[in-house]
Amino acid sequence: MVKIDFKRDRINIRWRGGKWDWMIEPRYWRNTFYWTIVLLLLPLFFVYFSPGMAVTMVSANVYAALGIPLAFMGLGTGRVNFGPNFYVGVGGYAAALLSLHLGFGQLATLPLAIIITAIAAFIFSPLVIMAKGLYYTLLTLLLPLVFLEVTFIYTDIFKGDVGLFGISPLVDFGSTTANFLGAAYISSVILLIFLLFTNKIMKSRYGLIMATVNDDEEVAQGIGVNINRVKILSFIVAATMIGIIGWFLAHYYGTFSGITYLPLTFMLKILLVLMIGGRAQIFGCVAGGYFVAFLEMILIRTMGDFQPVAFPIILLILLFVLPRGEGLFGLYRRRHYREYFPQTHVRR
Amino acid sequence: MPEILTCENITKRFGGLIAVNNVSFSIKEGETLGFIGPNGAGKSTMVNVMSGNLKATHGSIHMDGVEITKMPPHVRVHNGLARTYQIPRPFPELTAIASVVAAVLCGKKRKNQSFDDASSEATHYLEFVGLFSKRNVIAKDLTFYELRMLELARALATTPKLLFIDEVMAGLNPGEANAAVKLVEKAKAQFDLTIFWIEHVMAVLVEAADRIVAIHYGEKIAEGTPDEVVNNDQVIEAYLGKGWRKYA
Repeated sequence: MVKIDFKRDRINIRWRGGKWDWMIEPRYWRNTFYWTIVLLLLPLFFVYFSPGMAVTMVSANVYAALGIPLAFMGLGTGRVNFGPNFYVGVGGYAAALLSLHLGFGQLATLPLAIIITAIAAFIFSPLVIMAKGLYYTLLTLLLPLVFLEVTFIYTDIFKGDVGLFGISPLVDFGSTTANFLGAAYISSVILLIFLLFTNKIMKSRYGLIMATVNDDEEVAQGIGVNINRVKILSFIVAATMIGIIGWFLAHYYGTFSGITYLPLTFMLKILLVLMIGGRAQIFGCVAGGYFVAFLEMILIRTMGDFQPVAFPIILLILLFVLPRGEGLFGLYRRRHYREYFPQTHVRR
Repeated sequence: MPEILTCENITKRFGGLIAVNNVSFSIKEGETLGFIGPNGAGKSTMVNVMSGNLKATHGSIHMDGVEITKMPPHVRVHNGLARTYQIPRPFPELTAIASVVAAVLCGKKRKNQSFDDASSEATHYLEFVGLFSKRNVIAKDLTFYELRMLELARALATTPKLLFIDEVMAGLNPGEANAAVKLVEKAKAQFDLTIFWIEHVMAVLVEAADRIVAIHYGEKIAEGTPDEVVNNDQVIEAYLGKGWRKYA
């Protein structure tokens, strides 16, 4: 039976011999509150200023919301997944196919897309235990590319060449501006939920346990951490979060094609969001997502055909110029010495 | 005294190399059992087999009457077995207190323990090893001696019944080594521990251990009180070589 005690600055929750503290002291929530208001006012500002900006804002939210689970997964599994876009594909195709063939609406496809992505993540989760070092890198890198091939081979199902059309829309208010506004708010809410959920986990005992796994798996086992459970759970949770973005993209655009999300270019963009925003910092992903999306938009408008060349060059330069590892978020907020700042392990 | 851990005919092979060959001994509750052998004798391999980091090729290990041979390392920790490492292995990016908090949270199961409760308890272990003032220092910035103490605090925080100490003296100067030995003895008394102490410095174990097991080339060559083992011909031969009996 869950027992809840309200204290002055916290809520104590007890359940089956476990005890959790939830801080409710206002000063701990001040910054969260301010930034939430900014994020919720932005769509109104953009729609008033230029509806095109709202579209870019949705892209920014999507990039950020993809970077956050990737950072989470990197911490919990102790290695970098180079194919997060595979789960965008799984979630997106699940939503698209269910919507097209069974006529499901966007609310009905969401739980099913979550379940299907979680099952796919569960099937591939032994990778985090069995594959080490470059093998893990290669296998995760190959997964989306293999899926892309599958969409071409079984083109009658996935329509790999042209994509699936006619997916039920995310919102339909009858006016384009209102639809833009609705999509911007839904993407912002998803981003906020991802941020709060991930931040809460990382600040809790589970975050600390994930940090021990990231730092040294063998020693983590030596203090009693069930590392396989931690790695598999963080892999599945993060992959499912990425799958939710797949669902969002399928319903937002009303079309879904593997060729847009499964190639290396999309994956590189997500990795760059993570690295430029601030390695392994979930709030850095928001800075990175907004920076990358708006830079892309500005370059498309100003440079035209030169954009595909200039965009990666600028990002790569920034990768070297920005504070090592701390990225754009590091410029805003100076990290305290004792704060946990994980190493990213690619070759473990 | 009842036996807390029993190893029966443990063999560990790495391909053609036999690192540990048919070793049997038991650890009695409340004692300090020394485990000695020259470099490369198979001491650390044996500890890795006992703590579950390596799987034994043959043989069985029982703890409190329960077979733990195939148990994963984290379950052995929950059953009250902790270890330190020969070369300190801290969590490099975590502060001293965070490492110990993790051990408090993941070690032996405690009921109704929140994250804050674990933090309070962790300070006790840091205070015990003398690292309280360094609690907010990131582990990679600690000195070698402090890392050894942090390892001890982390192991104690899992509330073990049986503690494996792997060469606590290695890399320490005489003053530090002396302090470390005293601290281990204090921990044994205060936390009611049984200690399995791996060392190749014989002098330390002669002072600290109740019994000693000696191995050489992966095989047990002697077992008994420190005096018996120190005067054992095979042990002297293993450490000094043939014909050095008269100098021992």
